Amino acid sequence: MDLASQLPQLLGLAWLLPLASFVLILFFGPRMGPHGRNAAWVATAAIVTSLVLSLVAFVSWLGVHPAVAAHHGGDHGAAHAAEEAGDHAGSHGDAAAHGEQHGEQHGGHAEQPPVAYSGDWYTLYEAGRLKLSIGWYIDSLTILMFVVVTFIATCIHVYASGYMHDELHEVTDHEVHLADGSHLHRPGRFPRFFQALSLFCFSMMGILIAGNLAMVFIFWELVGICSWFLIGFYYERKSASNAANKAFIVNRVGDFGMLIGLMALWGALGTLHFADAQVPGADGQVVSKPGLFSLVRPAEAGHALRVPDGMVKFAAAEKVAATAPGEVAGKVDVWRAEGFGNWLLFIAGVGIFCGCVGKSAQFPLFVWLPDAMEGPTPVSALVHSATMVAAGVYLVGRFFPVLTPDVLLVIAYTGAITLFIAATIALVANDIKRVLAYSTVSQLGYMMLALGVGGWVAGLFHLVTHAFFKSLLFLCSGSVIHACHTNDMRKMGGLAKVMPYTAGTMLVGCLAIIGAGIPFVIGLSGYYSKDSILAQALSFSQANPRHAILYWAVAGGAFLTAFYMFRLWFMTFSGTPRDHHVAEHAHESPQVMVMPLLVLAVLAVVAGWTLPGGFGIANLLEQSRPAGTAQTAQGGFAFGQTLTLPAEHLSHEGAIHVTATVTAFATALGGVLLAATMYLWRVISPAAIATIFRPVYTFLANRWYFDELYRAMFVRPAHGLAAVASGIDQGLIDPFINGLAWVTRQVAGIDAWIDRTLVDGLVNATASATWAAGLELKKLQTGSLRQYVMFIAAGTVALFVLASMLFRSSLAG
Amino acid sequence: MSPADALTQPALWPLSLIVFLPALVAALLALPIIPKAREEAIRWVALATTVVVFVLSLWMAWPTLFGAVGPAQFTVGEAGMQGVVKKPWIPAFNIDYLLGVDGISMPLVVLTTFLSVLACAASWPITKHVKAYHVLFLLLETGMLGVFVSLDFFLFYVFWEVMLLPMYFLIGIWGGPRREYAAIKFFLYTLFGSVLMLLAILMLYFTSDLRMLSPEQLVASHVVSPSLDAAARADGVAAIAAAKNPVHTFNLLALAQLGQLPKSPFAAVSVWGMSLEVWAFLLLLIGFVIKVPVVPVHTWLPDAHVEAPTPISMILAGVLLKLGGYGILRICYPICPGAGLSLAWLVCGLGVVSMVYGAFAALAQKDFKRMVAYSSVSHMGYVMLGLGVWSAVAGNEFRWDAWAQGVNGAMFQMLAHGISSAGMFFMVGVLYDRVHHRNLEEFGGIFNRMPVYSGLAVAVFFAGLGLPGLCGFIGEVLVTLSSWNYSRTLAVISAFTVILTAAYILWAIQRVYLGAEYKGPHGDHLTPMTGRELAIATPLVFLAILFGVAPQLIFNYVTPSVNRQVETLADWTRDVGAKAAQPIAGGPAAADVTSR
Repeated sequence: MDLASQLPQLLGLAWLLPLASFVLILFFGPRMGPHGRNAAWVATAAIVTSLVLSLVAFVSWLGVHPAVAAHHGGDHGAAHAAEEAGDHAGSHGDAAAHGEQHGEQHGGHAEQPPVAYSGDWYTLYEAGRLKLSIGWYIDSLTILMFVVVTFIATCIHVYASGYMHDELHEVTDHEVHLADGSHLHRPGRFPRFFQALSLFCFSMMGILIAGNLAMVFIFWELVGICSWFLIGFYYERKSASNAANKAFIVNRVGDFGMLIGLMALWGALGTLHFADAQVPGADGQVVSKPGLFSLVRPAEAGHALRVPDGMVKFAAAEKVAATAPGEVAGKVDVWRAEGFGNWLLFIAGVGIFCGCVGKSAQFPLFVWLPDAMEGPTPVSALVHSATMVAAGVYLVGRFFPVLTPDVLLVIAYTGAITLFIAATIALVANDIKRVLAYSTVSQLGYMMLALGVGGWVAGLFHLVTHAFFKSLLFLCSGSVIHACHTNDMRKMGGLAKVMPYTAGTMLVGCLAIIGAGIPFVIGLSGYYSKDSILAQALSFSQANPRHAILYWAVAGGAFLTAFYMFRLWFMTFSGTPRDHHVAEHAHESPQVMVMPLLVLAVLAVVAGWTLPGGFGIANLLEQSRPAGTAQTAQGGFAFGQTLTLPAEHLSHEGAIHVTATVTAFATALGGVLLAATMYLWRVISPAAIATIFRPVYTFLANRWYFDELYRAMFVRPAHGLAAVASGIDQGLIDPFINGLAWVTRQVAGIDAWIDRTLVDGLVNATASATWAAGLELKKLQTGSLRQYVMFIAAGTVALFVLASMLFRSSLAG
Repeated sequence: MSPADALTQPALWPLSLIVFLPALVAALLALPIIPKAREEAIRWVALATTVVVFVLSLWMAWPTLFGAVGPAQFTVGEAGMQGVVKKPWIPAFNIDYLLGVDGISMPLVVLTTFLSVLACAASWPITKHVKAYHVLFLLLETGMLGVFVSLDFFLFYVFWEVMLLPMYFLIGIWGGPRREYAAIKFFLYTLFGSVLMLLAILMLYFTSDLRMLSPEQLVASHVVSPSLDAAARADGVAAIAAAKNPVHTFNLLALAQLGQLPKSPFAAVSVWGMSLEVWAFLLLLIGFVIKVPVVPVHTWLPDAHVEAPTPISMILAGVLLKLGGYGILRICYPICPGAGLSLAWLVCGLGVVSMVYGAFAALAQKDFKRMVAYSSVSHMGYVMLGLGVWSAVAGNEFRWDAWAQGVNGAMFQMLAHGISSAGMFFMVGVLYDRVHHRNLEEFGGIFNRMPVYSGLAVAVFFAGLGLPGLCGFIGEVLVTLSSWNYSRTLAVISAFTVILTAAYILWAIQRVYLGAEYKGPHGDHLTPMTGRELAIATPLVFLAILFGVAPQLIFNYVTPSVNRQVETLADWTRDVGAKAAQPIAGGPAAADVTSR
């Protein structure tokens, strides 16, 4: 079997297995063993099988496309063109290796498009040239993400089967107070947790494998609703259901932007497919229908970004209308040069990015993520740190070829603002999970910024390494919460002695996230990914001096990260217990929870390494680098300036790399030392600092007042408008209608008076004659509803019969 | 037309049987065959009737399910009218008993018969005047089905009115405390629309002239039955051509042919400064949008729903609202394309205003059922928008597919809303039957009390929310995506609605189903769903998922017919409309349309 048919089968199966698990648990969950205990096995078996299938796909991919040191503007696309073109040309109609299509024509200087396999499984809607479908787009990024997601999900399934064991019995929820003052007692919901987790895995992989943006949007919404279920798992708690609603609605705000982006693309281009599709042509020939990537970066333009014809024509609609149909094609280039369509492409890019802002909790929509910590901790680890929230970054990476330099600048600044705001809030948070939540927001900001400054590999590399160490950190925090029954770090301390494994693995996680390592020699996974972000930001700043602040944001953020992460670790594990009640009950977690910690800790260390043969995640990603993005590019119109996006390989070289590495090391070390002075050695009292900087502290502790601001700006006005709309109905339209009815009645009253006084005078004379007939008719008016209804029924049927006979005889004759 | 052609007609059934069987049974029930006191027997007879009608309609619509493809069955994928039945009814006015279905009406017929079964089953708790209730209910079904299958405008109107009266009584007698107000409001609103519609019908009738049509067109529109042999057809055509005076017609297909002629007789006549075509379009539109309903003629809906008993709410939201959308699609656009082109902004604008306004109003409601009613206003706004996105104009190279997407989306939305809104009203009814209140603030904790019910209810509400994988998503996304090509502003506003929809539905779910404990009265009555209730809810949830996952099941029927109509109208725009497009009434807006 060749890759083109093998990969969709493998990954498709890996994708659908969790769905099967969801359906099984949905219907049979409570009957799976005592209290549904075996639901965990069903879900875990499904995700483990998915992991195995993903690994098989991974190995098959490497067999054909070994990940070795990158060729910038590489030529591996062409290398396999001949080999595979023959295989799939005839056999699978719509399965096509996107990469091979332009294989040979453009050897030489032009960049090769990356190898990717795409096709459609299933059509949702089709009419004319428009088609919405469920399909696949598989490249090394897809496969890598499949492995990462299924791997972390497997760890978390195992961990959760221990963590959630409370749900196997009757649960007393101490956070819920009933009206009579008692706590809530409820049956456990063990199977329901795994049911939602399985549905989530299915939805998440749907985003990863999606062959078009419509499918991304579908699964985008589905992960949103899974997140709603999981955040609201303890739905008896008002705070949990509020957080669930908030998460979904805030995400919908992002989706609103995403829909606009989709409309801009769909309306002008008529396709949402990433890759070219093979469609039956007019005379039975198979023709290639260009996808978004080749529309925006056509091969004939050397994969350089340009506004697609469809958008030019759409924007210049008035000119198109004024031009003879035959001449339109010839004038498109002229209109493009005049700038038609620039804004449309910009809107499309920013629109899609809006969706990512919501899902990846970027400024200004990050407010939902910290609240999402209401969900069980395994959920926080899987959904709200490692995978779902990374979907936004993934989509920016996937959609990267279509993003103009202006859009990228928007993305970079959004990332910079996000990473800064979130890091500052994390400095003062005391809830262990909230610190990690803000840290997640901040790290996602890093990734966005990296992508925005042209660091395609850097951003996605960090996405992968972050997934490992952040899920590790969350699981460690879960282990701590499991032991202490509190989230409040002020009640912890000195836990390292009782929970050595948790403390050790969490230390590894903290070191990984701050990018610890021996400069230029070796480091933990974060060391590599963070360095490459810093280097690319520096490279960008040098090319665009007025955006130097982006670099300082990254460097400053690194310092803050190191500080708050080690603040967390020291407060939790070092020193002496602050609350003896908590410390007495603390214990190391069971093996089923510790094992995943160890596994993830190993990966948090090694995920960034490049093996001697050249195999490493960065090189693997490099295989899928979008065509036309390996070289330095220039562009931009929206902000009145030309932007330079430096080629990413430049940041690996010479002075930039050295400066970046040294800066990263220095800032991280500084942050750790400061944290140690305050929380380990306790030389400086945190309380004193909080007192000195009271306004700043209050501002940060209240999370910059974003929740209050949004409540005043959006929530209240929305409810106000709602009241107005409802009020118009009851206060304006209905009184008007009722008024009309009243007027009609008055007119009828006058009419009746005229009847009574004038007409009746005449009529009364004849009345006596009809009196007798009236008496007879009165019998019909019995007041019996049954009879009335019978009249209506009989009358209706008779109407047809009578009318035809009557008209026929009297008029037709 | 000779009386002989009645004999050569295809069998009168199944369409006539489907339409009139309920009325027939209603008439029999009205006779004192089954005593009034035997309520259970009456319920079963009515239910059996609806089931038979449903099976008949399914037999017709889905031949492969029954193994045999008979000539009377529907050929899926064919665009034209099928199963046409034609009998002269009132020859003096060329009124025919003319029925037929195509891909647009067939799914709506099945939806109607299906929901009638469920609503009939949901009528079990009705204990007042059981016999009268079921007689009226069955008459209502005949009325609704008749509207969907009539191809003669006069017949259409008769059915339209036949449907109105039972509905009035069903709300006015079996409704809640303010039932009389709600019923009379519903009646007057609809009657007002009907009067305008009648006016438009007469205008079109007296302006029409069959002599303008070619022999092919006469045959295609069933004025001269295509089932006749060649000689008889030639006779029929010749008889029309030879007529000295204009030959008027109520035939909807012929009226559409006339309306799309390069020299449409309707566009030629001018009344008070506007062409008759525009007048007719507006009058019909008002009649139809009252039924949809759109803001600002929607206020009958919340009252009618809140007062109506649960099964009648299901029918009202599930079927009656669709009549408006169906009317616009079947009658307004094909017969008055010129007016449709120049007034597309009105249709789309009304749709978008309804979407946003309905969503905001839903957010403010304290009554559960009222909230669901307003959600209907919002969701039907999508239908209007989808029907109206006339983007097959010059700036868009007369492309038909963007508009077809909107219309297909609107059709899908109608069917999906038929499922989800009927489901939502039923779910509200289940709670109301137990605790006898609908105050959103006084629920909570239902999930723990009635888990199965809550699971099904949440699924139905998610379908209303437009969640992918459920039926509400496809229609909404198709309509929203298609609107961009018509107007960017409207598109952005319509996309904005997704936020509001999420807000009011999730908030309602939170207040009713989530939470720790039930806060209202009669908490001890919160018993699990009965088998009968499950039998009603499960098919709705199943279909909501099925159509969300496999929308092609519906599109296979809808798309060919819709595409053909849209393509025809797009061609018409290129050949006739764009040249003749003169600003009528809304001058600037008409120019706005053509400039796109």
